[in-house]
Amino acid sequence: MNEGSFPILTALIATPLAGAVLVMLANARRPEIAKLVGLLTSVATAALSVWLLASFESGAESYQFVSKHPWIEQWGISWHLGVDGISLFLVVLTAVLFPLSLLGADPHHGHKQYLVWMLILEAGVMGSFLSLDLFVFFLFFEVVLVPMYFLIGGWGYEDRVHAALKFFLYTAGGSAFMFVGIIATVYLARDSVGEITFDLVRLSEDADFATSTGRWLFFAFAVAFAVKVPIFPLHTWLPDAHTQAPTAGSVVLAGVMLKLGTYGLLRFGLGLFPEAAYWARPLLLTLGVVGIIYGAMVATMQKDLKRLVAYSSIAHLGFIILGTFAFTSQSMSGSVLQMINHGVSTGALFLLVGWIYERRKTRLIAELRGIQQVAPIFAAGFMVVMLSSIGVPGLNGFVGEYLVLIGSFLTARWWTVVAAAGVILAAVYLLWAYQRVFHGEPDDANRTFKELTLREGMVLLPFIGLIVFCGVYPKPMLDRIEPSIAELIEHVEENTDFVSPEPARAGIDE
Amino acid sequence: MIAQPVSTFTGPEIDWYALSPLLVLVAAAVALLVAGALTPPWPKGGYAIVTVGAATASAVLAIIQWQNISDDGPSTLVAGAVSFDLSAMFFTITICVAVALVALLTDDFLRRQALDGPEFYALYLVAAAGGIVMASANDLIVLFLGVETLSLALYVLAAADRRRSKSQESGLKYFVLGSFSSAFLLYGIALVYGATGSTNITRVVVYLQESVPLERFDALLLTGVALMMVGLAFKIAAAPFHVWTPDVYEGAPSPVSAFMASAGKVAAFGALVRVLIVALPFYREDWQPVVWVLALVSLVVGSVLAVVQTNVKRLLAYSSINHVGFVLVGIESAAHRAGAVDSGPGVPSVGVYLLAYTVMVIGSFGVVAIASRSGDDATSLDSFRGFATRRPVLAVAFTVFLLAQAGVPFTSGFIAKFGVVQAAVEERSYAIALIAMLTSVVAAFLYLRIIVTMWMSEPDDASVELAGAGTSNSWTGTLSIGLAAGFTVAVGIVPGWLLDAADDLTQFAR
Amino acid sequence: MGQYLPIIVLAVLAALFGVMTLAASHLLAPRRPSDAKEAPYECGIVPSREPPERFPVNFYIVAMLFIMFDIEIIFLYPYAIGRENLGVYGFVAIMIFSVLFFLTFVYEVARGGLDWGPVHRSRDLSADADIVSPERTSASTVRHVGLDGRPAGEEAA
Repeated sequence: MNEGSFPILTALIATPLAGAVLVMLANARRPEIAKLVGLLTSVATAALSVWLLASFESGAESYQFVSKHPWIEQWGISWHLGVDGISLFLVVLTAVLFPLSLLGADPHHGHKQYLVWMLILEAGVMGSFLSLDLFVFFLFFEVVLVPMYFLIGGWGYEDRVHAALKFFLYTAGGSAFMFVGIIATVYLARDSVGEITFDLVRLSEDADFATSTGRWLFFAFAVAFAVKVPIFPLHTWLPDAHTQAPTAGSVVLAGVMLKLGTYGLLRFGLGLFPEAAYWARPLLLTLGVVGIIYGAMVATMQKDLKRLVAYSSIAHLGFIILGTFAFTSQSMSGSVLQMINHGVSTGALFLLVGWIYERRKTRLIAELRGIQQVAPIFAAGFMVVMLSSIGVPGLNGFVGEYLVLIGSFLTARWWTVVAAAGVILAAVYLLWAYQRVFHGEPDDANRTFKELTLREGMVLLPFIGLIVFCGVYPKPMLDRIEPSIAELIEHVEENTDFVSPEPARAGIDE
Repeated sequence: MIAQPVSTFTGPEIDWYALSPLLVLVAAAVALLVAGALTPPWPKGGYAIVTVGAATASAVLAIIQWQNISDDGPSTLVAGAVSFDLSAMFFTITICVAVALVALLTDDFLRRQALDGPEFYALYLVAAAGGIVMASANDLIVLFLGVETLSLALYVLAAADRRRSKSQESGLKYFVLGSFSSAFLLYGIALVYGATGSTNITRVVVYLQESVPLERFDALLLTGVALMMVGLAFKIAAAPFHVWTPDVYEGAPSPVSAFMASAGKVAAFGALVRVLIVALPFYREDWQPVVWVLALVSLVVGSVLAVVQTNVKRLLAYSSINHVGFVLVGIESAAHRAGAVDSGPGVPSVGVYLLAYTVMVIGSFGVVAIASRSGDDATSLDSFRGFATRRPVLAVAFTVFLLAQAGVPFTSGFIAKFGVVQAAVEERSYAIALIAMLTSVVAAFLYLRIIVTMWMSEPDDASVELAGAGTSNSWTGTLSIGLAAGFTVAVGIVPGWLLDAADDLTQFAR
Repeated sequence: MGQYLPIIVLAVLAALFGVMTLAASHLLAPRRPSDAKEAPYECGIVPSREPPERFPVNFYIVAMLFIMFDIEIIFLYPYAIGRENLGVYGFVAIMIFSVLFFLTFVYEVARGGLDWGPVHRSRDLSADADIVSPERTSASTVRHVGLDGRPAGEEAA
């Protein structure tokens, strides 16, 4: 399908890249031109993604808009892009978050370079979500590191260089495992596939590994993705990177880059090594649940508002891991939804925290007080976003977490029981933080807190719209996610003795 | 006179045409030397252009020979002393590329240092001829001749900036240690001769093939192999025989450092391939672990010790040790199938790595040469502060080279590293492949350090002073760096042709 | 291992010999140092100052030239003796060698390898016409002590 039509997926990657080049060529003395060009290209990418969303055929199982051209034939590498229900919304989320974060946060200096890095980052993230070739995926997965490193190191806060370094070493170290893993996968699969190919579709269909080999390979992939997610013991780079990154960097980091890890586990971990993924299930479920509880508890103790949000990310991503490895239709669909929801609500939270910092030059909860009185609209916006992050019914966070929990309960009962406590903890740390920051009598420093500006309002509005829409009417999303998930579960069942429990069979859309 | 009736000596058949790439270089060296001495100083860039012309002519001839060899198959020349195969031609072309790029860089440098004259260029050409002899030797004595021709030229070049004591120190150190290692190599050759009765590689192979293991002088041969490996490991600067590298590279004139790091290593690796893979496939169980350890130590030393360096040239020297480790990974994987008809992906990956590395290391040192201005001293990391604002174009080029060395996608460095690791994984050398990738993460950090210094650090007083110094933008240096950067990116994006060419490097003339 | 036994025995013997001779001379030799014995040359004129440590660099170039010719002779003699047997191949080889040798010699001479002594370059004489003109006499160039030859009236100054 869609053969011969406009290569929209390639365009999704090429547009931000072209924008980066244009910005690079723009006159350094007139940053407004660069800004305009950068914004326009990212908006154009968003428009393309909306078009993609509109023309995506819901209910279809396999990849759509596939574009495949041989690239390095000696190594069986091709430029192979495609989108399915799992990646579709991540692509849209990426395309929407970038223009919003460009609009919502001002880098204050070096506009041109900042824009160049942001646009390259967008292209890299897009490429990672779209590629169906292991080599191409790895290319983009690695490319993403460089702009993020520079964004944190160049435009971050006090301790930015250290944080950027930590971020780079952790993720690049993880990627080193995956690099070897990818090549080993391809060569070990040569006999069963019949030739050397990096094509994900063919590898996941035909590749046949010995049990222990598959487990080692899964481990190599899982390390890279676990760092990126981050799963509990490998998470220590995240609070630093998030806290020190510039606002837009945090939005993108939390919104889409962490999803590279969860998406990778779903697409590559489960797709290529279903047997090993099933085998490693208890470990990953445990780590996911530990992440939920640990992230929530540490978040409660934070003095720094941005750090609090960062730790809340660890907790939220724990749910995604739990849902992914519970292997039921609901839990996995919930995971994918939760990826989107977390991107929207945490992205918005980071923007709001960034705006608080702009006004008060501090992120310490202790120094903020009574903002609700001075800036009620700001507080209202924060409230909605925060409630969505907590997972209050009617807002988007609830749908994802609820699906994950009911789905996981069927196959991973005790883990789910513990994880459910995480929902309550989320309410504790976020409400408590809200109470300390927004309630009470404002002191002199907070009395001059500026109300939400029109521009900020315009940026926040789409976020709130998405939060409410996804919370009230998630069916269109689930319709598109569900078939791909069903196919994935089938793939797992074919390769293991795992049987997805019956209630999950029925699907979620009746 | 006791003249006995001796039958008239008939010399070996000499195929002048097949030797033409080599002869062109030597003839050009002598012609340049004599013509340059007899005429008044040539106009700007004159000597460099002649050198580039000679190197290009030699490379073109080598490409023509490449076609002939592809058609007619490999053979040996001059009574089996020189091998005439694709591998020899590939190394010839690589060395010629190095000569051309370095010659263009040298012009600017020599003028600045008031050293202009034909000698530098003649020495480059002679050294290149020596390197080609090394890489295409089919006789251990011829190999040694090549080593000495290359090394003697390099000793002089290292000390050629005669007004700087550091350069003299560098030349002297290199000379003392280099002649020491040459002695090791020669002694090793002597022992191999003692054990096998010939220095000719063809006959060594035949002897080892035909003689029953009991008849062999194994201890003698193994000692010889060990000594030869020590000598060659010194020439490629593999750890733990690397100690001279930082001092010599730091002290030598920057273009010469570029030449030593590129052509010198390419030639030595060519020789190593000849000695290990071609001549001694029957002893690979003995030398393969040694290569493994050399690779491991080089990888670790090159990346870890580089982290504490504060001088860019020393840093690049250590990083070159890391690269040597990578090439050794390729040789290690080639070892698995040494002597087999299908010798696997090892040697091609080594070839691609060396060509890519040659170009990017020359580019890196070239930027340092241009940036360091008079005295060749401003090579500390601090003097690169704010380089991006002083020389934005040069900074972009340097960034490209450093990212390529780090192995970031869409540069030749990524393709090179991918090839080597792929070769290792195909031969199931997972451990060394993984170690290689992990050290490349550490190494990436140090390249990022330079990049960060260039782009993110505010210039301090010393670098501001540098900015004030006169900027001589010579077209030769710019051309060289432009070509190198273009190649680095082009191979990163369209690597097919290079991989195609390198795939043929598997058949050796015996 | 048996085949290496002679080598090992020889190595041990060589080492032993070296150590023993050193030890013997150390133990047996009488030690009566005197100024004459300490001097670098035991005969001839007693040096009154440190010998100069720096040589003119030209010395080395001439020495290298000597080595070059030495090498040339090493190749030319055997060739001259075996010329008849070596045939055309030998002739071509020695010609290539000679041409290369000659060119390097040209290079060395052109770079001033044979300019011995202080640097003096031939100068354009027209610029110094008054210094080298045939009109110059001892009267016009040499300053005399006394009054003769001086323009009158100068003594008053």
